[in-house]
Amino acid sequence: MSRGPAALVSRAIDWPFEALQRALGAARMPYVFVAPNLLVFGIFVAAPMILNVWYAVTGGTQLMPGDRPFVGAANFAELLDCTNHFVVATCKQDRFWRAVGNTAWFVVFQVVGLVLISLVTALILNRRMPWRGFFRAVFFYPVLLSPVVVALIWKWILQPDGVLNAVVVANGGTRIPFLLDPSWAFIWTIVVSIWAHMGFYTLILLAGLQAIPSDLYEAAEMDGTAHVRVFWRITMPLLMPNMMVVLVLALIRAVQSFDEIFVLTGGGPGTATQYIVQFIYETAFANQTHILGLAAAASMLVGGVLLVLTLLQLAASAQAKRSEAKR
Amino acid sequence: MANLSLRGIVREFGPLRVIHGIDLDVAQGEFVVFVGPSGCGKSTLLRMIAGLDRPDGGDVLIDGVRVNERRAAERGLAMVFQSYALYPHMTVRQNLAFGLENQRMAQAEIDRRIGDAARMLQIEHLLQRKPGQLSGGQRQRVAIGRTVTREPGIFLFDEPLSNLDAELRVQMRVELSALHKRLKATMIYVTHDQTEAMTMADRIVVLRGGRVEQAGSPLELYNRPANKFVAGFIGSPRMNFLDAVTREGRNVVVDDMPPLAVPAAAETSDGEPVTLGVRPEHLGFVETAGLPGTVDIVEQMGGESYVYVTLANGARLTVRRPGQTALSTGDAVRICIEGAAHLFSRAEGEPAIAPRVRA
Amino acid sequence: MPMLFRRTLLAGIAALLPALMPLSARAATEVRIMWYSDGNEGEVARDLLNRFEAANPDVKVILDNVPYKMIMETLPQLVSSGQAPDMARVTDLGGQADAYLDIGPLVKDRAYWEKNYATTLPWLRPAGNTTGIFGMMTGITTTMPIVNETLFQQAGIPLPGPKATWQEWGVATKAVAQKTGAAIPIAIDRSGHRVSGPAISMGAKYFDGENPALVDDGLKTMTKLIYDWHRDGTMSKQIWGSVGGTAYRGANEEFANGQVVLYFSGVWQFPQFAKTIGDGFDWHGVPNPCGPAACSGMPGGAALVGYKSSKHPAEVARVMDFMASEPVMAEYLARTLFLSAHAGIASKGVNYDAKTPQLQKSLAAAQANLLNLSPVAFRLQGYLRNRIMFNALIVRLNQAIAGEMTLDEAWARMTSDVAEGMKAAGVK
Repeated sequence: MSRGPAALVSRAIDWPFEALQRALGAARMPYVFVAPNLLVFGIFVAAPMILNVWYAVTGGTQLMPGDRPFVGAANFAELLDCTNHFVVATCKQDRFWRAVGNTAWFVVFQVVGLVLISLVTALILNRRMPWRGFFRAVFFYPVLLSPVVVALIWKWILQPDGVLNAVVVANGGTRIPFLLDPSWAFIWTIVVSIWAHMGFYTLILLAGLQAIPSDLYEAAEMDGTAHVRVFWRITMPLLMPNMMVVLVLALIRAVQSFDEIFVLTGGGPGTATQYIVQFIYETAFANQTHILGLAAAASMLVGGVLLVLTLLQLAASAQAKRSEAKR
Repeated sequence: MANLSLRGIVREFGPLRVIHGIDLDVAQGEFVVFVGPSGCGKSTLLRMIAGLDRPDGGDVLIDGVRVNERRAAERGLAMVFQSYALYPHMTVRQNLAFGLENQRMAQAEIDRRIGDAARMLQIEHLLQRKPGQLSGGQRQRVAIGRTVTREPGIFLFDEPLSNLDAELRVQMRVELSALHKRLKATMIYVTHDQTEAMTMADRIVVLRGGRVEQAGSPLELYNRPANKFVAGFIGSPRMNFLDAVTREGRNVVVDDMPPLAVPAAAETSDGEPVTLGVRPEHLGFVETAGLPGTVDIVEQMGGESYVYVTLANGARLTVRRPGQTALSTGDAVRICIEGAAHLFSRAEGEPAIAPRVRA
Repeated sequence: MPMLFRRTLLAGIAALLPALMPLSARAATEVRIMWYSDGNEGEVARDLLNRFEAANPDVKVILDNVPYKMIMETLPQLVSSGQAPDMARVTDLGGQADAYLDIGPLVKDRAYWEKNYATTLPWLRPAGNTTGIFGMMTGITTTMPIVNETLFQQAGIPLPGPKATWQEWGVATKAVAQKTGAAIPIAIDRSGHRVSGPAISMGAKYFDGENPALVDDGLKTMTKLIYDWHRDGTMSKQIWGSVGGTAYRGANEEFANGQVVLYFSGVWQFPQFAKTIGDGFDWHGVPNPCGPAACSGMPGGAALVGYKSSKHPAEVARVMDFMASEPVMAEYLARTLFLSAHAGIASKGVNYDAKTPQLQKSLAAAQANLLNLSPVAFRLQGYLRNRIMFNALIVRLNQAIAGEMTLDEAWARMTSDVAEGMKAAGVK
């Protein structure tokens, strides 16, 4: 073990780090190892985030931060300028509010659907059943697919001459414009989004279910507990920490939805499926005049919402850890 | 209180048969202990009695009624699990009430039963706590409390003391015995610890490999083990075993050593190979005759001493002497039998060879 | 700081390039052209430039064939950092007009240029300049309809004549689609640029004096027509409804599959259709449908420009003179199948290398359409900020079609969108 090529390589790698450790001391070494990743993070995530604040308080169309005139909260005022916040037509930035409204409805339906479907699937997959391993893999597989692939698959299924309409027509119906009708398109963005992500949350809930000791269920059986009561009084309370984590993660991700939906419907028809991230993208990059200030301000508002959700998620995980420790 | 009968219970896991046709009766109010090494099937048997598992053959009868097809809750049983299985997110009171609520019992009745059980087990001050806030012993009592409130026909215990430390175990053994006397309940108790069996049981059932080796009262098993396995399992320190050959009369010979007289000698023919079993307290030291050996270790407990001896032929013996001893390592001694001795045949199952009945 | 770093980096790279050139090449003056091709334009240009070099041995022209993406993304950076090539073929005409080289004083015959390229010279001028000559269009495009005549024949309905209006085309194509079962009577590319041609035919002016003014009666008429067509099925939601925002959506696939009766797109589709349709059915370009004001489409195309930073402005002008001369340009267009921006050639007609009857018919129609383009269309195409107007037009119109707002609301929003965009761009 002390000789051979592997040992030589590891010794070669060791000596600069040992030299570094002699220079800096063992207590500072963790920073050395963290530094490369921190550098990447700093340049590509943290710095742009901070720069974004500057963009949000400046106007004009120049890309270079130095060329942009300071306008204070004008961008935010512009975004929030509405006589009646619930009637999109009265807002100055009607497309922003339409996107916010679409996103809000999308988040509600998608998250509820996602959590319920993931829970039911996890409960089923937790039982002893034949082919259990296979089914677990099958449900998780869509999570591995790139969002573009997911959207293309469903686009081919749902388009007027796609597979689903072929089935409808074969059964004597007329073609349904699944992606061209505003309501249908909205529903399908929810369905596709759930399909693509549920495997991940099913896995989390499955892990939570398996952490529940099986002798609790046996004790419940000895107590003569009906199945429904077992679910509500034993399974759900013990699964609640995982459910909270799943809920908040799903919320955060739902607010950020863009990839699949952009490829599936492009935000159409009209703006029926245009959600907030796409609005920001269009305002900042797709229009000829890159109204970066407005887009940056909108992204900061979204960021604020996500921050609140993230704090909720941290609280939920802390709660989960505490109740794990107590058991 | 109910009685239990098992008739020809068989259990198989795939091609593997783990319970081989067990017959057993547990009388009303009896405290029966299933004991045996790991894998002997005692827990499996208990689960089949409880209804958590179904036998592949045979009948389970409670109060004469066949309950094979009945669900666990409908058999009138209650069980204390090895890990207590308390619902961690509920308070102690809620844990105790849970099963009773399933029966749609009136709240007043539930409260009364919880109050009685809590008083009896001294957990009244713990009712508002959650299981995570209790010590091991307290959790143990809550688990027992949960069964007591159910007022079942038979109490089932699945190795309930194995998660406690030694001191607590001793204390709980006493409490469980007291509980049994107080409730006059039928209790079936599973353990791998023969001490618990000996101290608490009205009757012990020794299991090995899915078969009942012997069932009887603790002293019966101690004094008249049916085979070598039971003899070696019951009693601590373990019985000493020596390979020997019978001689005429009541003697056996161990290798080339002088013959030993076996009191109440058994029915054997001359020259039959047997296993001689003698408990440590039935061995003594003599000046002449007896088996020669050397002392290895002496353990002085104060009230008694254990002397570990290696015989001339290499066999090791444990000898228990009351009080203190002057022997020490290296001393040459001679061993003889002072008290009961057992002979076990070398045949399948190694049954005890019955002593010759005096005319 | 990033700007400085970028400049230094590019300067470093550019400084190394001459060191990599073989010594012998340094004898003649070098002119570099950054060129992209949709089809065979690069080959044809190379061929023509070889003749130039033969006639001008003291000038060597290097044609760098690059992908279009590089023209769109990398070239602007080279230009802003002062590292531009001598010349380039560009499509974003107004984008960096300030960097173009005025070859007006350098060309042999200024009057020739001003006469033959009159309509398109303004497109290349930076803001405020009204007299400079900054390059020429390497062919011009026009938007126009392409018809699937086979469907008309199957339906037994005659093709509308050259002066037919949009409304007449609407009725005719709907009847054809009904009789033949074709899915889409009229398809228009989802693009503000595309809609503008018909809008101008309906009387849209796009400008109020010097200022952009998107919504007027002409525009309202055309947008209402498109809106009504979507409701009665003359236009299918499949095209405009399948994307959102400002995304482009063409209907080439649908047309090539024979599902569209009339496809309003442009001349650049001809070579593609020659390949994908061949003679699968009878297709060709037709005259632009008429409105009360004009029978117009929108022009477009790529231009060959020179850059101020060039070290050899005189040689740039000589190459330009060569390429702009009538015989050279005529041959270039004949081989690349582009329309002529050169007025003289356009009036004589280009003798295209078009092999198939579909191509010949289409190019003939295209040339006629080119001559009928409205001056409003030319002005709009040359306007620096036209994309603001195109985006506002298409986004809001599509929202009205999708039922998110009424047409009146859409028009009001178009006006406010344009105002917002102009304000953000710093335009009065």
